[in-house]
Amino acid sequence: MRQDSFAGYHPAVQLLYFALVLGCAVAMGHPVCLALSFVCALACALRLRAGGRRQLLWLLPGCALAALVNPAFSHRGATILAYFPGGNPLTLESILFGISSSAALVTVLLWFRYLNAVLDSEKILWLFGRAAPGLSLLLSLSLRFVPRFAAQARAIEEAQRCVGEEARGLLRRARHGMRVLSILVTWALENAIDTADSMKARGYGLPGRSAFSIYRFDRRDGLALFFLVFCGGAAIGGAAFGRLKFHYYPTAGGAAPDLAQICLFAAYGALCGLPLILNAKEALQWKRLRN
Amino acid sequence: MEAIAELREFCFTYPGATAPALREICLKIAPGEFAVLCGPSGCGKTTLLRQLKPALAPHGTVSGEIFFAGAPLRALSPRDGAQKIGFVLQNPENQVVTDKVWHELAFGLESLGYDNRAIRLRTAEMASFFGIEPWFRRDVGTLSGGQKQLLALASVMATQPDLLLLDEPTGQLDPIAAGEFLAALARLNRELGVTIILTEHRLEEALPLASQAIVMDEGRVLCTGTPAEIGRGLRELRHGMFAAMPVPMRVWAAVPNTEPCPVTVREGREWLRAPLRRIAAEEPAPVGEPAVVFDDIWFQYEKEGPAILKGLSLRAYPGEITAILGGNGAGKTTALMVMAGLRKAYRGKTKAAGRRAALPQNPHTLFAANTLRADLAAAPNGESPQKMRDITALCHLEGLLERHPYDLSGGEQQRAALAKVLLTEPDILLLDEPTKGLDAKFKLEFAAILKKLIGKGVAVVMVSHDIEFCAGNASRCILLFDGAAVAEGPPRAFFSGNSFYTTAANRMARHVLPQAITAEDIIFALGGEA
Repeated sequence: MRQDSFAGYHPAVQLLYFALVLGCAVAMGHPVCLALSFVCALACALRLRAGGRRQLLWLLPGCALAALVNPAFSHRGATILAYFPGGNPLTLESILFGISSSAALVTVLLWFRYLNAVLDSEKILWLFGRAAPGLSLLLSLSLRFVPRFAAQARAIEEAQRCVGEEARGLLRRARHGMRVLSILVTWALENAIDTADSMKARGYGLPGRSAFSIYRFDRRDGLALFFLVFCGGAAIGGAAFGRLKFHYYPTAGGAAPDLAQICLFAAYGALCGLPLILNAKEALQWKRLRN
Repeated sequence: MEAIAELREFCFTYPGATAPALREICLKIAPGEFAVLCGPSGCGKTTLLRQLKPALAPHGTVSGEIFFAGAPLRALSPRDGAQKIGFVLQNPENQVVTDKVWHELAFGLESLGYDNRAIRLRTAEMASFFGIEPWFRRDVGTLSGGQKQLLALASVMATQPDLLLLDEPTGQLDPIAAGEFLAALARLNRELGVTIILTEHRLEEALPLASQAIVMDEGRVLCTGTPAEIGRGLRELRHGMFAAMPVPMRVWAAVPNTEPCPVTVREGREWLRAPLRRIAAEEPAPVGEPAVVFDDIWFQYEKEGPAILKGLSLRAYPGEITAILGGNGAGKTTALMVMAGLRKAYRGKTKAAGRRAALPQNPHTLFAANTLRADLAAAPNGESPQKMRDITALCHLEGLLERHPYDLSGGEQQRAALAKVLLTEPDILLLDEPTKGLDAKFKLEFAAILKKLIGKGVAVVMVSHDIEFCAGNASRCILLFDGAAVAEGPPRAFFSGNSFYTTAANRMARHVLPQAITAEDIIFALGGEA
């Protein structure tokens, strides 16, 4: 991924952002909301490196299929455009609903692509570790063990082959596998004594253990958090008061557009576009520093 | 000045053992001292070191007393014990416990309950002191062994201990990484005044750093003092421990003279006098059918990956020990794997005449049974009592057959693993770093076994960092660099032709004895007796 300024924010801010954006993409069916979310998600996902961008193309046929399937099976709606050979009506509303639901699906997928790039496994672990520091330490230890076991298993397998333990035939292969596993377990137990010593030597088990976090919650994280709470609150509040209602059947339509609704759209757009705003701001700043 | 650590008539016996592991140890370590604790394997140095760290002290019967900074060590609270006394173990793989470098640095501070701010500052300090910054956010799994060990040291130092204990910390490292590690220790001692007690096999580099050396044997302190005083003391005792001492000390002890004992190569050069005898040149190598032929071998692990071997050509002959030397990443281990048939070269011709078997770097990868006897019996040809008897006699395993392979010492494990490999009756024996972590005595025994094997016509190929061992025992040395062989020859010609990549003995004596490559050579030339 290219340098992304949102990726440098505190994981808690990122988690809240993705929770809001994903929740709204699923729950808010208003076409304007969908369009805003889709455009922002696409723009964010396009920030990924070239390989990621090529993969985005694969989304298009799936999206088209989803849009086509709905009118083929759903015949609700008042505006009849044509009739299928079987006699079922093709309605404008079912086409619109197909498009909007497939757009919602693609939007969610795009958000997940961006989430994967911004909120890596380390941050997710840390976030869940906050809830239980013991669990987070355990995870950290396990993440260290797994690649080590794999490397040791490989070394054992090769060593056994070198002393002529050939693995041919199903039965012998199974026995060979068992032997490797048994050696691995014995060796791991032996190594665990050392690991335990190393932990004890550094005071593990003393009361009052703290959990260090490499992530800092800065002023800018506070500002971003405030921004998210404000915009997210506005959008959710508006939706709760029915200002963002939209229905497709029997005819497509929603709450009458007024100033309040336009403000809500603006808030929602700002919420979804936060990473884009931050990146644009950064780019501008660089430009100014250069000159 | 008050001693930071003091042992008064300290005795220790393991539960169920008949003889004490430590006998009447009296020692005083002053603050700021760099003490090197040496002695053959099993002499009790690790036991002694662990007694100084309450959290790691083994159970057993104790008499006498240990004082830490004037107060009995028993009275030290667990919190102070964890904070004020640091302990670094031998194996870098096992003692680094978390998955991220920054988390590892913070581990000890987390245990002590420091807050985020303090931990951030301390980890930053440690990272910049030890030069860890470039890999501060990396996964531990991506680090080299030397980096892991440096990380282990840094994470122990993060709690700012007054006393730092290290149990053979360079045993699993290659010479370059070991040198860097010891340099970091010297810097800690010199710049921060941290008191250090170190047990070490690699005395060539460690002893010159020591302000106090302690030699132990059979649970007793044999002598203490500066390295030069140790040299004099051991010479008077005529003790076998001398085999492990730095070359200048060994030469000095074997040649009658009254001058002070040299410790470093530089002091050795100054001390050295005109030779009395000439060192004979090597006989030309026998020309026979090679057992292993590599012709222009190219190898890489992945299609897109970098080439590891780039046109490597070499020969190994039966009845010879061929040593492949070179730095990390030169392709030594890869060459051995191709030779063993574990990897296929993608270009070039390989030929191996006869059965091949390889001794892996880590003997643990071979042991599968609960006793050594059962383990060997399960190996190919292990069912034949005659072969079993021959092999156990060759590898001196007679008294060890009923033991669990994991309970053997490092050197014994290495011999047991060798026995298991030899049961397959190989014509070509491949060894990967066979002397790693072995002390001087075990190296001599191992060399004797190899000599017997080549006497039977086995072709031994060894990949090693251990220049001194190769100089003393190999028939032919090959220097690998950047995936190809850049120099080859019998050891005397090979090492005396190099200026940097050569033995300590050669560096010490090359201005008067360019052909000398081992301490024995210099002793012989000076008319002493080894």
